[in-house]
Amino acid sequence: MKSVNQEAIEHDPQQLHEELHDIWGNPKGLKALTIVNHTTLGLRFMVTGMVFFLIGGILAMLVRTQLAMPDQDFMSPDIYNQVTTMHGTVMMFLFAIPMLEGLAIYLIPKMIGARDLVCPRLTSLGYFCYLFGGIILTFSLIIEMAPSSGWFMYTPLSSSEYAPGLGSDFWLLGITFVEISAVSAGVELVVSILRTRTQGMALHKMPLFAWYILAMALMIVIGFPPLILASVLLELERAVGMPFFAIAGGGDPILWQHLFWLFGHPEVYIIFLPAAGIVSTLIPVFAGRPIVGYGWVVFAIIVTGFISFGLWVHHMFTVGIPQLAQAFFSAASMLVAVPTAIQVFVWLATLWLGKPKMKLPMLWVMGFLIIFVCGGLTGVMLALVPFNWQVHDTHFVVAHMHYVLVGGMFFPLIAGLYYWLPLFSGRMPSENLGRWGFWLTFLGFNGTFLIMHWTGLLGMPRRVYTYEAGSGWEIYNLLSSVSSFVLSAGIAMVLLDIALHFRFGKPAKHNPWNADTLEWANSMPPSAYNFVSLPNVETRHPLWDDPNLPYTMAEGKHGLAVPVHGRREMWGTDPITGKVREIIHLPGNSWWPLLAAAALAVVCISLLVRVYALAGIFVLIAGVFLLRWSWENGAHPIAAPEAAVAPGDPPLHSRTMDGPGLWAMAVFLLANGSFFLSYLFGWFYLWTVSPEWRMPDTSPLSLPLLVTAGIAIAAGAVVMEKMVRRLRHQCDERLGVGLYLAGALGAVQVVLTGWVLYSANLSPTQTSHDAVLLVGLIYVLFHGGLAVVLTLMQGLRVGYGYVGAHAPFEPAVVAQLWRYNVVTFLVLVGSIAVLPRVVGG
Amino acid sequence: MSERNCARCILAIQRPSRRWVNRALFVVWFAVLASLAGCAGDKSILDPAGQAARDVRLIWWVMLSFGTVVLIGVTACWLYTFKPRDVVRTPAQERRIARRWIVGGGIILPVASITALLAFGVPAGQRMLPLPLSDPPDVIEVIGHQWWFEVRYPQAQGSDSEGNSVVVTANHLVMPVGEPVDFHVSGADVIHGFWIPRLGGKIDMIPGRVNKIRLEADIPAVFGAQCAELCGVGHANMHLYVEAMPREEFDTWLASRQDEQLNQLATEDAAHDDAREAFLTHCASCHRVAGVSSGTIGPDLSDIGSRATLGAGVIAMEEGAVSHWLKHHQSLKTGNKMPAHDDLETDTLDALGAWLETLTP
Repeated sequence: MKSVNQEAIEHDPQQLHEELHDIWGNPKGLKALTIVNHTTLGLRFMVTGMVFFLIGGILAMLVRTQLAMPDQDFMSPDIYNQVTTMHGTVMMFLFAIPMLEGLAIYLIPKMIGARDLVCPRLTSLGYFCYLFGGIILTFSLIIEMAPSSGWFMYTPLSSSEYAPGLGSDFWLLGITFVEISAVSAGVELVVSILRTRTQGMALHKMPLFAWYILAMALMIVIGFPPLILASVLLELERAVGMPFFAIAGGGDPILWQHLFWLFGHPEVYIIFLPAAGIVSTLIPVFAGRPIVGYGWVVFAIIVTGFISFGLWVHHMFTVGIPQLAQAFFSAASMLVAVPTAIQVFVWLATLWLGKPKMKLPMLWVMGFLIIFVCGGLTGVMLALVPFNWQVHDTHFVVAHMHYVLVGGMFFPLIAGLYYWLPLFSGRMPSENLGRWGFWLTFLGFNGTFLIMHWTGLLGMPRRVYTYEAGSGWEIYNLLSSVSSFVLSAGIAMVLLDIALHFRFGKPAKHNPWNADTLEWANSMPPSAYNFVSLPNVETRHPLWDDPNLPYTMAEGKHGLAVPVHGRREMWGTDPITGKVREIIHLPGNSWWPLLAAAALAVVCISLLVRVYALAGIFVLIAGVFLLRWSWENGAHPIAAPEAAVAPGDPPLHSRTMDGPGLWAMAVFLLANGSFFLSYLFGWFYLWTVSPEWRMPDTSPLSLPLLVTAGIAIAAGAVVMEKMVRRLRHQCDERLGVGLYLAGALGAVQVVLTGWVLYSANLSPTQTSHDAVLLVGLIYVLFHGGLAVVLTLMQGLRVGYGYVGAHAPFEPAVVAQLWRYNVVTFLVLVGSIAVLPRVVGG
Repeated sequence: MSERNCARCILAIQRPSRRWVNRALFVVWFAVLASLAGCAGDKSILDPAGQAARDVRLIWWVMLSFGTVVLIGVTACWLYTFKPRDVVRTPAQERRIARRWIVGGGIILPVASITALLAFGVPAGQRMLPLPLSDPPDVIEVIGHQWWFEVRYPQAQGSDSEGNSVVVTANHLVMPVGEPVDFHVSGADVIHGFWIPRLGGKIDMIPGRVNKIRLEADIPAVFGAQCAELCGVGHANMHLYVEAMPREEFDTWLASRQDEQLNQLATEDAAHDDAREAFLTHCASCHRVAGVSSGTIGPDLSDIGSRATLGAGVIAMEEGAVSHWLKHHQSLKTGNKMPAHDDLETDTLDALGAWLETLTP
């Protein structure tokens, strides 16, 4: 297939570069805060992640110092608990996830031949939420008020009764804030990978790394909401006294554990999959041959993604759950070894059939292999219930977990950083210092954690701030502590190496490792727009099959090399085949993401210090900022007022019925649906399992009113569908009226639901039943209200001429929310108002 | 390690081989010796004193051996691939080799291992389940508090403050040897973990629920135990002293803790009247001493003199230990919930300590 716009071929490359730079280039000074470019933000994510890694690392060294000798009082038990809790929290939430997301944000568009991620302002919002949330969370350490109930925050230990300070609140609010960042990155990575691959790159031709990131992003989207829900519920319990987890009010502390591990186990694979993606990218390059079994790897990725959501109970084998459930989760936990083993042997076979070279990145891949296989083997052991009962909550688990996470994430990450270093900086890493760094890290790591398995087998529990002399654990703890300092020295050397290379590294030649993927077609370091022209790629190895591709791309000989219109453009392609469908035009730099994140930070802080009025005001302000941001879309003067495209090119996405916003809304609703399902899980769990659950004899919710509200929202949704169908046929007659009508019907539903809530006279601080009802009704009220506001805004935009038959895209996006609202409203009413009437308490 | 193996190691060291080989062997030998010494700890999973723990130890060594073989095998294959070699293969051959690796290593190896492991491992856990027996085992209730263990014997012939038939102690668990015992565990405040490593697996102590686990001790001995689930600042200082004794001794032990005996013990000696008076003023609202007070917030002290440790395993019980504890307990066990006794005279504390130490049924 030939490129769609051939007329760009005769452009002067230098002039093209300057024109594109004018459109895409980053501003300097204070305006650098408005940057939405994925290259810049990806680097910001990674640098910030590294800073948090150093903080988490220092906490780890404090822990090892305390445990080096028996009966030490280097730290008090309270400080020790804060330090261990924050070590886990920082490493998981502020280092591992954002670091890998940063790498994906940086690399994915470059690998799939796009110029940016599909929701650039969302990238920026995500970064600032991460930064502000991380600062709020680490600030708690400075004032010695850090959370101290362990990184999984089991209640009742984290409840207001047993953790009265602000520590747990810092965790719950800070982490939820940071998770906005994780979920938004997840949403846009999914949509970018599915909808913005360059022309011709069918799903089965895209680089394996993109498959891994697609799985990771979907898992974030589905896996994080249960924890967000759990955090919201626990914060409500702490702040207002709603007994979701307190036995006395009919709650259950085990519900927290289920919700936490519903997130927590996928989390392990969310961290591992991108790291495995790095390995699957590096091995073929250094073996000098394509990966064998591409299909096998894709299969393994998908299976891992699914199985990982069925394993959470293996963190809870000792809570006393039924035997049958234990057997199921035990077998499932072992089965996840199969897709992992498939990947390990695919890598082995690729090396076996290639001619591998032991360059520095490969050294780290080898380190990964040994450590990760070891961690995987102890993981299978832990899945065996009788063995789990013995070593659960001992240092054996601490050792296993570090083998999986450090082996499975940190080693591949460093391999990847070394591999892509020339792309970041245009310079090569040193070989010598890097090798020293590797060996110190590798030996130090194994010295610390291999021995720790043994300490656990000798009976040392986790999270004890000290142990007695004569327990038999002294020598092993000392060896672990000494080795941990060797490990720190190794990591320091790696960081030094990376820092020095920016100054002293040899300039890299183009595509220095002779890689096959498109990111190496960038200039080094990359320009803000990535590629002058977007190629047609129908092979998995574009740079091996056509070594000239980077040059012809830079000369503007491929698609979308006409920047005269001044828009930020890239291809919107079919999710399966990669056929070009439309031109996606991206928004430029903007203050709104920073302002919205700052308003949310004020909300977070005012909730923390319990000034709820201020929090309410700033929720509204953040809402206004976000809506104002969405105002600059479609035919708005700042977005794409003119829709003219080069002859032969497809239309702009805002002039079609399908575009990235539609997909982003769908993926966001997937996350939202996961949140809603977690809520339903909580409702049914408390109803059936909680020891002191009390269901009132008669439901306090008025069924007739709820049914009327349901009719109103369904009618509103029908009107929306009708409007969208008309737009599809290029008809915008009475569009504004229709939108206002739908908005009015939505408002009727909101008012009626609000009335039901008001007249139910719930006492949510007395029983968990009422508390759960309250949360469910607030959920539908919020979503109903959101749909009303967005719909009325669409009506306004019709008036301004930003939306209409000429730009019919946006109402279809809002209509999806309506559909979602109808379904959740019906399911909610069925679950909390109808079912209790049918089956009784 | 058998003597023969030791001798072989030493011989290997004496042979004139390369120096680093000597050193490496020496290190390995030393590590094995050191680890065997480590097995002797009173909380070691690898030094079982009951069948359940012994099963798990066997599983562990089998899994470790198998896992080591897999790890070494895979690593060796990976390293081997870096050896320069000149083989030319057709694409069909390559596909066949790749498929063999992936199917053999990626599917057959894990599926076979998992099947073997489940077949071999699942029965081992059955022993710890509280399944019905023809001869129902003794029940001992253990309740975790921040940061001590309450131990109750519901089948004994005493009675607690609410008139329930029960013997109550704290931080010192006595059990009969050579027969299964069902432990019914719960938590009074937050979640704690019940675990006697040398006897078998652990189970969480959760408020509002009762979890059950069956354990059996083979030998009369003392076992270490400590809380396994993070439960706050006192988590590291929450130990349980477990003593397994023959059935007759156990029955005697229980019988000597009937209310009449305990009442008499606590009140008989007039020399301690002042101490009892002080106890009623300062301690009785939290602590129970049979015949004297009925507080239930802190540990029951009715037989405290006979316990091996104080403060849930923080210091050993010896003469003067109680008064030492009363004076310094906040520094011995940071953050524990008993108020500091700075306002009390040293003499009072000494007298209290002396009296409590006489409570040895």
